[in-house]
Amino acid sequence: MELAVATVTNLLILASMYILVALGFAFLFNMLGILNFAHGVIYMLGGYIGLALISALGINQWAALIISAVIIGAFGIFLERFCFRPFIGNFNRIVMICVAVIVILQTSVNIIVGTQITSLPSFAEGVLRVGLASVSYERIVTFAIGALLLGAIMWFVNRTKWGQQMQAISQDMQGAFLQGINVHRISALASFIGCALAAIAGCLIGAYLSLGPFMGDFMLVKVLILAILSGVGSISGIFIAGLVLASLDSILPLLVSGAASDAIAVGIVVVLLLIRPQGFFGHEMEM
Amino acid sequence: MSSNQLSTSSASEPATDKRKWANPSILAGLVVIIALLPLLLSSPYILHISILIFVYIIASVSLRTITISGQFPLAHGAFMGIGAYLAGMASRWLGWQPWLTIPLAAIATAGIGMLIGFPFSRLRALYYAMGSLFFGIGVIYIIYAGGTWTGGYAGLIGIGGMFGGSRVAYYYFFLGLALVSVIALYRFEFSRIGINLKAIAQSHLVASSVGINEGWYRILAVGVGCFFVGLAGASYAHYNTVLSTSSFNFMATLWLVMYVLIGGIDSFAGPIVGTIILILISEFSRDLKVFSPYLSAGILLIVVYLMPQGLVSLPQLIKSRLFERRKEKKISHVPGN
Repeated sequence: MELAVATVTNLLILASMYILVALGFAFLFNMLGILNFAHGVIYMLGGYIGLALISALGINQWAALIISAVIIGAFGIFLERFCFRPFIGNFNRIVMICVAVIVILQTSVNIIVGTQITSLPSFAEGVLRVGLASVSYERIVTFAIGALLLGAIMWFVNRTKWGQQMQAISQDMQGAFLQGINVHRISALASFIGCALAAIAGCLIGAYLSLGPFMGDFMLVKVLILAILSGVGSISGIFIAGLVLASLDSILPLLVSGAASDAIAVGIVVVLLLIRPQGFFGHEMEM
Repeated sequence: MSSNQLSTSSASEPATDKRKWANPSILAGLVVIIALLPLLLSSPYILHISILIFVYIIASVSLRTITISGQFPLAHGAFMGIGAYLAGMASRWLGWQPWLTIPLAAIATAGIGMLIGFPFSRLRALYYAMGSLFFGIGVIYIIYAGGTWTGGYAGLIGIGGMFGGSRVAYYYFFLGLALVSVIALYRFEFSRIGINLKAIAQSHLVASSVGINEGWYRILAVGVGCFFVGLAGASYAHYNTVLSTSSFNFMATLWLVMYVLIGGIDSFAGPIVGTIILILISEFSRDLKVFSPYLSAGILLIVVYLMPQGLVSLPQLIKSRLFERRKEKKISHVPGN
């Protein structure tokens, strides 16, 4: 029972965090066709900025969460303007610039903080007991924030004017441009939202698990898997892919020990990709 | 008359491509200088860097060989790891000699690459890149899961060395290996098969409509690329005698891709130039300690913003800047163009 509750809560938290980070990646991927390999590092940087705000400046951690999201979001606008926009449609140069961003940010964190694993102070203390099961408040808070944000993003994408403009751009960029949509402004907005979401996920994971300079590499792989499996142009596909991946990641270690479970999970992903290369929900990318 | 003209015009393009950089006398002079290097500079550190450069030249040139078929693999570091770990395990657990393990590991890597290439030839462009990326990550997890057989997280130790550990002998071995591999890959690229591969890269539909078996040629390109990268990995295992996954993981693969892109993916000399420059920069900036990655990143940014064709286009770029009138500035771009 204990194990089952722990597995299920772990699954839900992992899924919400994967989806949070992957949504930001998918915005840019759908709209501009950019594979932002630096998204993992941005997520890592969000956690570290939260840590710096809390420990060095002594800011309340809820305020730190929001300030970190805003700072990283502003960095996202910078990235979109100067690193991605000049090279839209050029895969090679996007990869190069992303590697440069990864190296610069990781080296900076290494120099300023060091390579040791740290963690943020937890967002909520205590344990909730219901009958036999017990769940820590931290898990509930992490999942609640994740779910709330995901709901807000779904509302934003489907119900607001800007969100619908984002959908229009991801369907046909030149068509959207001809209809008078300011493509550059909307993609800057998408980059802001995506990076801010990654920063919030970084802070939450930093408090729930741990914070390290290389945690972004792990998350980048998950994000790529989610974006590719769900397909181009499908936001709701990311939710299902995120649930599938999170259940693989939290159930497989119970059956197989150690790295073998990761190997099996990646193997399943490769097989799924081979079965449906264009993803399970979206449309195929035009190349 | 007309047939003569046709034949020269069709043959002229690769010929000019060769003449640009492959002036035989200059190349021969370079090879002689490189071959005499250990006699002039016997510092083991410089020999070590040169050996690393030779290993990664084989790896990056073979990576480019796969990309001429229009496939962009992000698993090349992992294939290098497969070659290295196969040779290392054969040496560690079976006690086989390097002369046996290196060619066998290279052939086995090519076999694995072609076996994987068979289902992967379904995927194109971005999806091929992503599929191979996931495969490469899976390989690293399999190495971790191998426990004592592969050394797991701690790394594989106790691989047999060669030449009694003499750096100079290693230097000549790797120089010969790199020369043979580069010449073989050059011949492959400008052979009939290589031209077929380039046709597939330009348009797989047109290529298959004129009778080029697309799937088979793509698998062949992967097989050739994996053979040489397996060769590089296996001989590197016998040089280093210690293996860890950090040399073959996703970031290592990305750096291999950087070697190719920074030099210029469109030219055969590109990966060679890129490998030499990036390895020299990262090795000679060791004095800067933690700050040294900034230099590599700086070079990447310079190439991205100023040299779209990579470092090999630098002489031409300077010439056009100095001697030719600058073209009119492009009109502010429409998105998607």
